[in-house]
Amino acid sequence: MIKTAIEKVGEYFLFLRKVFSRPENARLYWKQFILETDKLIISSILIVAVISIFIGGVLAIQTASNLENPFIDKMYVGYMVRESLILEFCSTMVALILAGKMGSNIASELGSMRITEQIDAMDMMGVNSAAFLVQPKIIAATLLSPLLMMLSFILGLIGGYIVVDFTGIIRTASYIEGIKYSFNGFYIVYSCFKTALFCFLISSISSFEGYYAGGGSLGVGRSSTRAIVAASILILMFDLIVTEVMLY
Amino acid sequence: MIEVKGLFKGFGDKVVLHDIDAVFGTGQCNMIIGKSGSGKTVLLKNLIGLFEPDRGDILYDGDSLVAMDEGRRKLLHQNIGVLFQGSALFDFATVIENVMFPMNFFTDWSVAQKRERAEFCLEKVNIVGSNDKYPSELSGGMQKRVGIARALALSPKYLFCDEPNSGLDPYTSILIDKLISDLTKEFNITTVINTHDMNSMLEIGDNICFIDSGTIAWKGDRHSILDTDCASLKEFICANTLARNIMEGQGR
Repeated sequence: MIKTAIEKVGEYFLFLRKVFSRPENARLYWKQFILETDKLIISSILIVAVISIFIGGVLAIQTASNLENPFIDKMYVGYMVRESLILEFCSTMVALILAGKMGSNIASELGSMRITEQIDAMDMMGVNSAAFLVQPKIIAATLLSPLLMMLSFILGLIGGYIVVDFTGIIRTASYIEGIKYSFNGFYIVYSCFKTALFCFLISSISSFEGYYAGGGSLGVGRSSTRAIVAASILILMFDLIVTEVMLY
Repeated sequence: MIEVKGLFKGFGDKVVLHDIDAVFGTGQCNMIIGKSGSGKTVLLKNLIGLFEPDRGDILYDGDSLVAMDEGRRKLLHQNIGVLFQGSALFDFATVIENVMFPMNFFTDWSVAQKRERAEFCLEKVNIVGSNDKYPSELSGGMQKRVGIARALALSPKYLFCDEPNSGLDPYTSILIDKLISDLTKEFNITTVINTHDMNSMLEIGDNICFIDSGTIAWKGDRHSILDTDCASLKEFICANTLARNIMEGQGR
């Protein structure tokens, strides 16, 4: 089992080498990058937005219900919501959601192309199919996912504000004051880096699984599942490593 | 011309191809025939470089495929057109975009020149007025024809067809056969067709290799195939009622 795992890791890195070889035609890759941006990033805006607004609201209620001590200033609700969002939710939770959405999209698309011989057809034309199909996906997901993180952060804060305003659990002025309190700009860099790394893992692992899918439509389903499971586990592992390295 | 010399290929302990020697001539419809599981698809995949032979060599006009580095193989692949069993048209592209796809990568033609060439290829395979359709909107026969047009886009010297008639009705099958044969003659292409369709063999088989249990059991053409003494080939042919009736009628 260990041997199989090591072999798989080796195959993954060989695959990445193939993916990041020089493009045959930069203009076509750019066009593909735009298409992938639409498919992977722009189409994810809605789900990220909806989840972020609701989670922001939930965080506000949960934090407020845990800060009932009259000696603690209520503005800490806003502060805690902001810190929870930027440190963990907007990067890790959003990445786990994207692992499902983006990961299954990539793995099933490439897997279907593999079993219908479309990838073989590209190879037979002399096109580096791995580079043409995968490189734009990985670059779009890695470079642009921090924008989704920023969107998630802003909408999460707005979600918290809406709940605070509607329920009156604390004064909105306190919430706003908490959001502004003791802000550490490095957390934005940390969160952007984490999101980019997680989306690199999601896009590369699901591409690897899809590209080498076999065994018909069932095989495509299995590769999609494997991609999501592997990406989710690695996201949590790297979350721990990056947090340890960047915050301590 | 493509020459295969002493080719061996196996997977694990199982030897699939055993000492294959064959010559596929230019301007001819060369056919690899045999039962399912006989090794003909493995041979075709060795020929086009999707599998590496365990032993032996494949020569493209004298150049060894086995000895080629990746760069030379890429150049060779630009001279190869492949029609896959399921057509393998790109789902994300329209008919015209599919045909223009190899041109986008390997030519510096203008969009107008590429479009003109694509339309010429589509006209050759009798696809007119479907340029903006997606593959899912085409019938099986039309998909095959677009697949042939795409394979012809860069004027290949070699054309490989993997079971071009599978899943098609007899009338469309004959049209596809005639089309492949006509294009082979017109553009002087070395065409290799992998099939077990008796009609195709008898219609367009200029050079036929019969594979049985991983080895070439018989070589000939469409005129001599019904006179064969090879027992396994006779058994293969007589599985087809029409061919059996012809052979019985001729006292073979």
